[in-house]
Amino acid sequence: MKSKKICALLLAVTMVAGTLAGCGGGDAPAADTGSTTTTDDGAADDGAAATDDGGSAASGEVIELTFFNADANQDDPWTDPVAEAITAATGVKLKTTRPVGGNDESEAVALMIAEQNYPDIIFAKGSAGNMIDAGAMMDMTDLIEQYGPNIKKLYGDEFEKLKQSADDPSIYQLSAYNVGGTKFKDAGNLQVQWAALKAKDYKIPQSLEELETMIKDYIAEHPTTDEGLDMIGISLSTSDWHWLITLGNPAGFIADGAPDNGQWIVTSDNKGMYKFRSDKEREYFKWLCRMYNEGILDPEFATQTHEDYIAKIASGRVVALFDKDWDYQDGEKVLKADGKYELTYAGLPTCIDENTKCPSLMYQGLTTGTGVGITTSCKDPVAAIKFIDFLCSDEGQVLNKWGIEGVNYFIDDEGHRYRTEEEIKYSQEDADYSKKTGVGFHNYPFPSYGDGILDPTGSTYTTTSKDAVINEYNVEEKAAVEAWGVELIVDMFPQPDEFETPDYSPLWAYAMPLEFSEIVDKLDEVAWSALIKCVTGTEAEFDANYDAMIAELEATGMSEAEEMMTAIIAEKVAIVQ
Amino acid sequence: MSVKKRQKEKVIKQKFSMQLMWKQRYLLLMSVPFLIWLIIFKYIPLWGWTMAFQDVRPKTLAQPFWQRPFVGVSNFIKAFQDRIFGQVMLNTVGLSILGITVGTIMAILFALMLNEIRFVKFKKITQTISYLPHFVSWVVIASIAKMVLNDGGMLDTALHTKLGLMSTNTPLFWFTVVLINTWKEVGWDAIVYLSAMAGIDSGLYEAAKVDGANRLQRIWHITLPGIKPTVVVLLIMSIGGALNVGMERQMLLSNGIVQDHAMVLSWFSYVRGIGNSNYGLGTAIGMFQSLVGIALLFIANKVAGLLGESRLI
Repeated sequence: MKSKKICALLLAVTMVAGTLAGCGGGDAPAADTGSTTTTDDGAADDGAAATDDGGSAASGEVIELTFFNADANQDDPWTDPVAEAITAATGVKLKTTRPVGGNDESEAVALMIAEQNYPDIIFAKGSAGNMIDAGAMMDMTDLIEQYGPNIKKLYGDEFEKLKQSADDPSIYQLSAYNVGGTKFKDAGNLQVQWAALKAKDYKIPQSLEELETMIKDYIAEHPTTDEGLDMIGISLSTSDWHWLITLGNPAGFIADGAPDNGQWIVTSDNKGMYKFRSDKEREYFKWLCRMYNEGILDPEFATQTHEDYIAKIASGRVVALFDKDWDYQDGEKVLKADGKYELTYAGLPTCIDENTKCPSLMYQGLTTGTGVGITTSCKDPVAAIKFIDFLCSDEGQVLNKWGIEGVNYFIDDEGHRYRTEEEIKYSQEDADYSKKTGVGFHNYPFPSYGDGILDPTGSTYTTTSKDAVINEYNVEEKAAVEAWGVELIVDMFPQPDEFETPDYSPLWAYAMPLEFSEIVDKLDEVAWSALIKCVTGTEAEFDANYDAMIAELEATGMSEAEEMMTAIIAEKVAIVQ
Repeated sequence: MSVKKRQKEKVIKQKFSMQLMWKQRYLLLMSVPFLIWLIIFKYIPLWGWTMAFQDVRPKTLAQPFWQRPFVGVSNFIKAFQDRIFGQVMLNTVGLSILGITVGTIMAILFALMLNEIRFVKFKKITQTISYLPHFVSWVVIASIAKMVLNDGGMLDTALHTKLGLMSTNTPLFWFTVVLINTWKEVGWDAIVYLSAMAGIDSGLYEAAKVDGANRLQRIWHITLPGIKPTVVVLLIMSIGGALNVGMERQMLLSNGIVQDHAMVLSWFSYVRGIGNSNYGLGTAIGMFQSLVGIALLFIANKVAGLLGESRLI
């Protein structure tokens, strides 16, 4: 009995002690947070001390920098040949972490901010604004001035666009997107099955009316697929964020001929307009509403999940899409694997009428607002900037994109780089090619030249060249370029030189102020369900429904948001000028 | 019944004294770890509620508590004035009431049915099958439900109808959600009632049989009164949680059309709080939800007491 009592007592004491120890453990990080408030000074000291380090790096000492990559979908062990070559040249080894569980970086970044525990280099993507707000990003202006000649060279005229704002001309991050370059392929404004296009002798519809006839004629001739499924004229995916891609964006491209600025249209005098206010878009949605009532637009579009949508595409039932290739390619892959190329899609530059120009090929300027940056707790900012600078150099770019000379690519008699047939085949067929060889594995989200830009030797920086794209065309695509008498499909599109590059970057990529995004989120919330209501309602009700949506948007603060947007654009334009 | 009452009176309320504490020292000591657990994990985190009265953004999140700007109740005002707040409250309460009523009634009916089955093997199998969906995640349930109930889904195809269960922007969507929820939870909820039924004295049934009561009469006069205390306790508890309608379920089952009738408080708090990086506002909405929950719990408890039922607290 007594021993039992003692036992119980001991147990109780241990448990209490255990929980108290738990409390102590909880205190420790709190104390840590206290001390990190002084990190700013500490980092500066580190920076000064690091100059010596930077010098010694070349002599064989390797520094390991931590890197958070919001877009990485697999681990990077930094053991492939390209990684080793980069380390040999810079003395830096990257230790990459990535968001766990899907691609959402916001939770991981929020946690970093709460703990004040940052990696050395970060690509925070959509949470970049929060990092800057939290004072966690280092201003790289001086570092680039001193150690980054190649970074400056890579960005050239567009270097100024990297600056945060006129009030705060710091460079917190570079750009994760290509600088300049040519688009050799594009999904255009909308997509039509090659079979339907062929039935009209490859005549690209110049207006929505022509598209409508094309779809109707095709369905009249082919009411079902080979498997006996009913054909669907047009399908959309709107049950989640995809509505932005298949319902929202195409309205801007097709009706207004406006480039992708998210939910915004920028007028010629650089004023921001919430795009659904546009009369042309009203006309577009009215057309969609008619299509819905005539049964051409999938009657199930509003409730189907994205998986349903992809499954329909994969079964070859859908004649036309209003989407982008990265979004529907999962469905298309199935068709390609079955060899049903005539049921895959041709990206077309069709607009609402002949007078509207498809903006697909327009160069909107450098996409800024999201890219790699150095944090304030970086242990060696100089090594970090030198590392990034190397990746921007010709040597670094070629290493990242082409791989290692004599292994992944060779140089011909004229001094141009080329890849062997086997290498190309290897790269296309082995899903792990990039991971095994390191080619293209460490490229994104670091700065990079666009496709088609030539380096001093006269070869392109990227492996995607005009010839490569032509080589990859499938039967249908080859037949089409022949019928049109052109080299590339995109030759049928309005060419880039027909557009002027605006002074502001694409608006969707900017990290917007919170007061602004708070209103815009609500506007999008209203627009999402209201637009679906407009399209699924009767034609007679359409105008009343659309007016009701505009009134609701107005009540939610559309004008206020537009003024803020105009101010933001003005600020961005001011930096460049 | 009268025997029970007499027993109740016998328990004299002992006065709190050091002597009593010493006498029950082992019992008290044993409860200490749980008390500590409760304080650490349930009460200390309540400190986070202070965020509801501050402007907490990524900029200020890392700052210590006293450096963040205090904004009084403006976060609450902002939440209450939101465009969709009224509709969100309506959805939450509507869904809750509907869910509690339908859920409870169906679970009791199901338990009664199982209880009346005399073929034990069949009963066991039915019970197991019926509570299995409880363990399946909402992601799976939602995709099954969408496959069956969506426009052009299995139900529409089989009946050649256009029911629009998931595409009508009216409270009909609440019914659809409750229907799916009931299907998922009815077996699990019935377990408690079944065990309550098992606790009823079988002598009562025999006596009723001798008196000539038929099956329905026995259910009505013995089984149902027998489980009444259990039903009341569970009802009080579920009313306390009336505003805690799960966000996951709503998000997974909704689509662009039924947005207006799918948004509930917890989701609203997520969208406005985490979604817009306005943590103060999110906390305010969450706090409002908890406080209303506590108030409801007390009211339900009081009402139960007034109706002469055993109270929970």
